[in-house]
Amino acid sequence: MTEVKVKKESTDPVDIENRIKELCQQFPHGITDQVIQNDMPHVEAQQRATAINRLLSVGQLDLLRNSSGLLYRLKDTQSASKVKGSDNQEKLVYQIIEDAGNKGIWSRDIRYKSNLPLTEINKILKNLESKKLIKAVKSVAASKKKVYMLYNLQPDRSVTGGAWYSDQDFESEFVEALNQQCFKFLQSKAETARDSKQSPMVQRNSSFATSHEVWKYICELGISKVDLSMEDIETILNTLIFDGKVEMTIIAAKEGTVGSVDGQMKLYRGVNPIIQPTGLVKTPCGLCPVFDDCHEGGEISPSNCVYMAEWLDF
Amino acid sequence: MTAQEVRLCGLLLQEHFGDVVENVGTHLIRNGVLTLRALAHETKLALDLVKKSLCVLVQHGMCTFGPGRRGPAGPVEYHINCEHILHMLRYPRYIYTAKSLYGDTGELIVEEILQRGQMTMSSTVKTVADRLTHNMPEGQSMDYNEVVSAFSRLVETHFLQRCPPMASAESSGTGSAETPPAVTQPSNPESHPDCYKLPYISLSGHGKRRRSSEDGEADQRAAKKAKTDSSECGDEGIHWQVNFERFHLHFRDQAIISAVSCKLDQTSGEIVRTMLRMSEVTTSANAAFTQALSANEIFRALPSNYNIARPILDQYLTLLVDDPMEFVGKAGDSGGGMFVVNLHRALANLARATLESVVQERFGSRSARIFRLLLRKRHLEQKQVEDFAMIPAKEAKEMLYTLLSENLVQLQEIPKTPDHAPSRTFYLYAVNQLPTARLLLQHCYKTVGNLIERRLYETKENKRLLEKSQRIEAILASLQATGAEATQLTEVEEMITAPERQQLESLRHHINKLDSGENQVDETIFLLESYINSTQASR
Repeated sequence: MTEVKVKKESTDPVDIENRIKELCQQFPHGITDQVIQNDMPHVEAQQRATAINRLLSVGQLDLLRNSSGLLYRLKDTQSASKVKGSDNQEKLVYQIIEDAGNKGIWSRDIRYKSNLPLTEINKILKNLESKKLIKAVKSVAASKKKVYMLYNLQPDRSVTGGAWYSDQDFESEFVEALNQQCFKFLQSKAETARDSKQSPMVQRNSSFATSHEVWKYICELGISKVDLSMEDIETILNTLIFDGKVEMTIIAAKEGTVGSVDGQMKLYRGVNPIIQPTGLVKTPCGLCPVFDDCHEGGEISPSNCVYMAEWLDF
Repeated sequence: MTAQEVRLCGLLLQEHFGDVVENVGTHLIRNGVLTLRALAHETKLALDLVKKSLCVLVQHGMCTFGPGRRGPAGPVEYHINCEHILHMLRYPRYIYTAKSLYGDTGELIVEEILQRGQMTMSSTVKTVADRLTHNMPEGQSMDYNEVVSAFSRLVETHFLQRCPPMASAESSGTGSAETPPAVTQPSNPESHPDCYKLPYISLSGHGKRRRSSEDGEADQRAAKKAKTDSSECGDEGIHWQVNFERFHLHFRDQAIISAVSCKLDQTSGEIVRTMLRMSEVTTSANAAFTQALSANEIFRALPSNYNIARPILDQYLTLLVDDPMEFVGKAGDSGGGMFVVNLHRALANLARATLESVVQERFGSRSARIFRLLLRKRHLEQKQVEDFAMIPAKEAKEMLYTLLSENLVQLQEIPKTPDHAPSRTFYLYAVNQLPTARLLLQHCYKTVGNLIERRLYETKENKRLLEKSQRIEAILASLQATGAEATQLTEVEEMITAPERQQLESLRHHINKLDSGENQVDETIFLLESYINSTQASR
């Protein structure tokens, strides 16, 4: 009798646990306490609670809260297995890092959130890193600052700096190359428009290119190893505006037109500068690095100026 | 008056009028206003010399005089006009403009008047006709009437104007002692009604050829003197001077037209030229816009050989109005659309382009990118500059700091807390166009000064050589005149050795380069000056 009773007591919780897990698998979005109760009306609340608690403590279930109350959900078996064999502190740190998502979290922030001493945290982080559960990513914002995130995550743009960075280094050559290509595209477009010998209005309008067209051209050129978005191309086009080589106008576009954003379309066109290099910079003095130190009768003076001599003999 | 301007004025005065006038001029500039006695004391020159120098300056309109602080009975004080002195830098350009507008005759008229400061119409006509005749092949001569017509055209287009009449000496003599002596200072030549009215002159004949022989010339001079004495031309006492303002307006219009042609195309430039020409007379000198012109008027005034159809003109005008540089603005819809040329806006744009060009050439195109970025976005933090310009943080920082140390970029601190702690302060970079333009203007003055100094130095270094070559040329000329043999000529020619010849050649090259450099810098000076004046006028 006692044997049977023991057996019954020992099998029951396992059955309940298995049943709960099955239920959770049926409803991947999570189940409420009510669902479990309806499924197993014969089980007492006490037993149900111990079973759930056990599952929670082993880390197979997740407890979530939503508008209708508490929600149980099966934990990702992978992550459950990953943390297997680690102690509570490790689990806590792992969870904090997981919460930070692909933005990553700084070790000092982990310390504030976990209330663990820094040495302990460093040990745990090293441990987790060696298990390839997390990784350290250097942020572009501050090169000394390391942020941690889960191993399988793709770091956010704000951390890597987007398409323009590789290993925290700004790829200025890449940017310059794109800058030149974009300009070439717009310039050739403007030239064909000019050569078309049509009415001035048509000429002007056909010299415009939308940012989408530029984007497509750059993609087809295949000079970029990484995928560039249209925003990336627009930042490049903006640098051309600041170079004084390109003008932008915004026009209203019908919703759904290719290349329109929020009913707007950005049009770019190559333009000519309004003046040639000004007279001042055609003389050596306009470019002289020691201009302010130059005085007649001084160590540096117009009479003995080497730049002037070179310029005159040129 | 900055140190650079004073230096440049001194150099210009020395170049055109010699050391004595330079001495007097610089003292006047430094002291502002001086009486004759004080001036003589300061310069330690003989009173006579000072008087003569002042005469030169007054003749060229660079110096004015009037009653002093002690009232009309006190000593007369002299006041120098630096702007006029700086105009001397632009003499080649005035002359060139007159040549391109009115041919050789116009060129010589302006040249003569610039050289003498002020002249009567009859004497100008005579001198110019003589000079033109001298350059013509034997047997031809210039008719006075042609020169008179060129002169009157220059007056009609306001390039020349009458000098403001002096209160005559007799009036102050006959009047009571209290009457102030002639005050020329504030009177603006434009304020006189007869400013552009041509006097009737009775002048007919042809220019005379100058004889090459000495005594012939003396003869001629005596004869001419006799002639002018005997025949009154009817314009005595009416002197003419060059109207610098009018020339400057012309330069400004040219700059705007060339900017439009560069930015858009030749045809747009031509349309703007037409608009500017139409409003030339009706728009006041420092107006921000030209008079509004209707599309119909512009269409009728377009040069007929240009063949622009009406719809095309409308399209061009729309394009001009739409252009972000805003050279042309739309003032209304009547008469097919009313259009104006935004003169001040155009000058500001040109000045901005000049500043950008200086930064671009001096610090590279990436610094220019940062500079333009700041001009466009007004105030930016360092991080924003790096992001917008897409320049690596380290380089961007260096460029920004270089620009800051050259005073081309300004830094504004905005503390969040009163303690100005760096961690709680915004550091905003900005470009102020007007002060930066002023700074570059000073740079330009210094540059021109340097170029002149260098030119003086080059000529001084090669003085002996130059004198030698001049001497030999004189000998050659006299030998040729007397009909010497060819062998004799080559013998004299060979007195300049080959290396000397080479040196002379390179010297000529250097001087030409320095001269053209001066003229190019003057173009920058002109743009910046007009921009600064226009912003002051609009305030």
